[in-house]
Amino acid sequence: MKIERLLFFLIFIVSIFLLSGCWSKKELTDLAIVAALGIDKNEQGRYVGTMQIINPGNVASGLQGGGGNQGPPVSIVSGTGDTIVELSRNTSRKLSRRLYYAHTNLVVISEELAKEEAINEILDSLERDAQFRSTAIIVIAQGKKASDIVKVLTAIDKIPANKVIKTLRITEKTWGENIAVNVQEAIKTLVSPGKELVVSGFRLSGDVSKGTKTENTQQTEPSALLYAGSLAIFKNGKLVDWIDGEASRGSLFLLDKLKSSAIAINWKGKEEAVTYELIRQKTKIMAKMENGTPRVSIKVEAEGNLGEIRAAADVTDPDVLLNIEKAIEKEIKKEINQAVQQAKTYKADIFGFGEALHRTNPKVWKKMKSNWNDVYFPEVKTEIVVDAFVRRTGLRNNPHKVNK
Amino acid sequence: MEKARISLYQLFVLILLFELGSAILVPLAIEAKQDSWLSILFGMAGGLFLFWIHYRLFLYYPELSPPEYMQKLLGKIAGNLLAFCYIILFIYLAARVLRDFGEMLLTFAYLETPLFMVNALLMLVIIYAVSKGIEVVARTGELFFVSIYLLAITGFILIVFSGLIDVNNLKPILEEGIFPVIKVFYTQTLFFPFGEVIVFTMIFPYVTKRKKVIKVGLFAIGLSGINLAITMAINIGVLGVDLTSRSQFPLLSTIQSIQVAEFLERLDVFFMIATVISIYFKVSIYFYAAVASTAIIFKIKEPSKLTYPMGLIVLFMSVTIASSYAEHLKEGLEFVTRYLHPFLLILFPLLLLGIAFFKNRKRSTQPSP
Repeated sequence: MKIERLLFFLIFIVSIFLLSGCWSKKELTDLAIVAALGIDKNEQGRYVGTMQIINPGNVASGLQGGGGNQGPPVSIVSGTGDTIVELSRNTSRKLSRRLYYAHTNLVVISEELAKEEAINEILDSLERDAQFRSTAIIVIAQGKKASDIVKVLTAIDKIPANKVIKTLRITEKTWGENIAVNVQEAIKTLVSPGKELVVSGFRLSGDVSKGTKTENTQQTEPSALLYAGSLAIFKNGKLVDWIDGEASRGSLFLLDKLKSSAIAINWKGKEEAVTYELIRQKTKIMAKMENGTPRVSIKVEAEGNLGEIRAAADVTDPDVLLNIEKAIEKEIKKEINQAVQQAKTYKADIFGFGEALHRTNPKVWKKMKSNWNDVYFPEVKTEIVVDAFVRRTGLRNNPHKVNK
Repeated sequence: MEKARISLYQLFVLILLFELGSAILVPLAIEAKQDSWLSILFGMAGGLFLFWIHYRLFLYYPELSPPEYMQKLLGKIAGNLLAFCYIILFIYLAARVLRDFGEMLLTFAYLETPLFMVNALLMLVIIYAVSKGIEVVARTGELFFVSIYLLAITGFILIVFSGLIDVNNLKPILEEGIFPVIKVFYTQTLFFPFGEVIVFTMIFPYVTKRKKVIKVGLFAIGLSGINLAITMAINIGVLGVDLTSRSQFPLLSTIQSIQVAEFLERLDVFFMIATVISIYFKVSIYFYAAVASTAIIFKIKEPSKLTYPMGLIVLFMSVTIASSYAEHLKEGLEFVTRYLHPFLLILFPLLLLGIAFFKNRKRSTQPSP
């Protein structure tokens, strides 16, 4: 009995040491939660990382109807290093806390850096790290430094990183000229020989030095505003050029990422007279070999309503709707064609035609793989078939006429 | 041999958890690229055949455990020697799987914790369970089986609904012909995880309805094979071949990609729970087989007394078998599957079956069930 008691006592003592805490614990008050990471390169060729760190007290105070604390919701810290991990550790000299990357949702890479060197060298540390989420969105700082995009404060979404991501996601869904690409998707595309990367750019209007002050968010029209820019086309991991406007929407059609959009068409000689509100679409890309050259057939099925009619059109007549549908099909076809032509001039297969060929003709693909982008892709023949459907015309049928 | 009773359902659960443990973690059969699921299914077919061999042997000696019938078939010295080889194999494989577990936790969550601490915590639990006997392990299995399947089904539904699976990643099927798939089959999936089912020969004598062992076993192996093939196909569908082959734990990366409705994300804990449970059973079963065989060869009356010293061996072995994770994997894929598994998992059981067949033919007795 005595031995058992002694054992019992011993176990108690041991438990005190084992149960008191965790091995590699990190207290919340020792963590600096990074919301966004911006990566630039300085004159010496070293990486400069700018971290947007959430200031929890100031984010919460706004929700409670404004308390005494009026500091900015985020704080910026930067570090320099020859590698990404080095610069991240380097920041510890300026920061009283340990950087915590598990909530980093945004990676901003400067345009200059993306043009200079292949971005896959940056992405390795991001996918290797256990804290970092590969679902973080990548954007390119268009015409600015990445640090500028990270620094600016935003009004409605208090944390600027969230504003950038939500802007991208919502514009992708409602307008369709931008695309939200995460780290994992970017790496998947970078390694594929049959597809090149497209990433959205993000722009800044106004003055950075004004944007970093809290006054920026305390006016109806911010002096510095972040907004989604053009689409960056990559080739072999390097940024080659930007596309925007109709060509970028055409690209989103081809990538099958477009959810909804508004497409204006000409009607009876009047320009942009009818606006088609796209609700859903599906694009299929099929590749086959024809007389030794690859041929890609693109099939788009679009469905939507009419959102605006600015000309005299009798939309109660199904035949008129059929004609409108034809005009819409022509317009979509034009946009897709523009996108294809642009990609061909850059010799960058951003739509994955190569991957489509790989799936259907693996043997031919093996021979073409190594110089697909430069030799074969610009020669690809495309055949675009668009089926657009107008389902409804809103609360009114025919547009009102001013009879005076 | 201890006195224990295992129901058919418990056997089924144990085989399933055993097959899934650690195989579901690693990029299984990724050398076959997008056809890895096919390799896994081939491996499963091989596993079914091997299970049949073990079952036939068991039918010849339904009352005896493998070390005992090895002695009968090969004579005392050779039989004991072979049985001893199996003990070492089981200890080694238990240590390997334990190492897998520790490496997984250290890579992903506890970067600064020593490997020894993590392994020791799991091993303590395993030692305790095994010292209480196989029945206890089997009953825990029943308990956890339901939760692991619920997790798997929820995970599956979430992955499907977040629209992550791109079937195009699985095409073209058989890009390089059937040969690479077959090669992966006979160098990897046949042994790991399906050939490893040999460890269940130690558990057969405890099963209540012996005639139905074959049915339940085949069903469990078939189901686990299909589960593994689906898991691998989903991994490749979500991540693509390149990312899957570069991932240490593809299933973790797949689960991390889930983003449903803005709040159902970062479900890494799904992966953690599934791993801890399935690896616990895999190590337990290997460890139990090692302990039970040792007790039989060395005629030790209370096997439970062996668990602590042997558990320490497994624990220390798990830390020392390799200096890095890469070395650990290389050993497992190149050394073990080349020099150990073909002999111990396939050749010797076949040989034993052959000898048993000729020995029992003279007596012209039907193998009694």
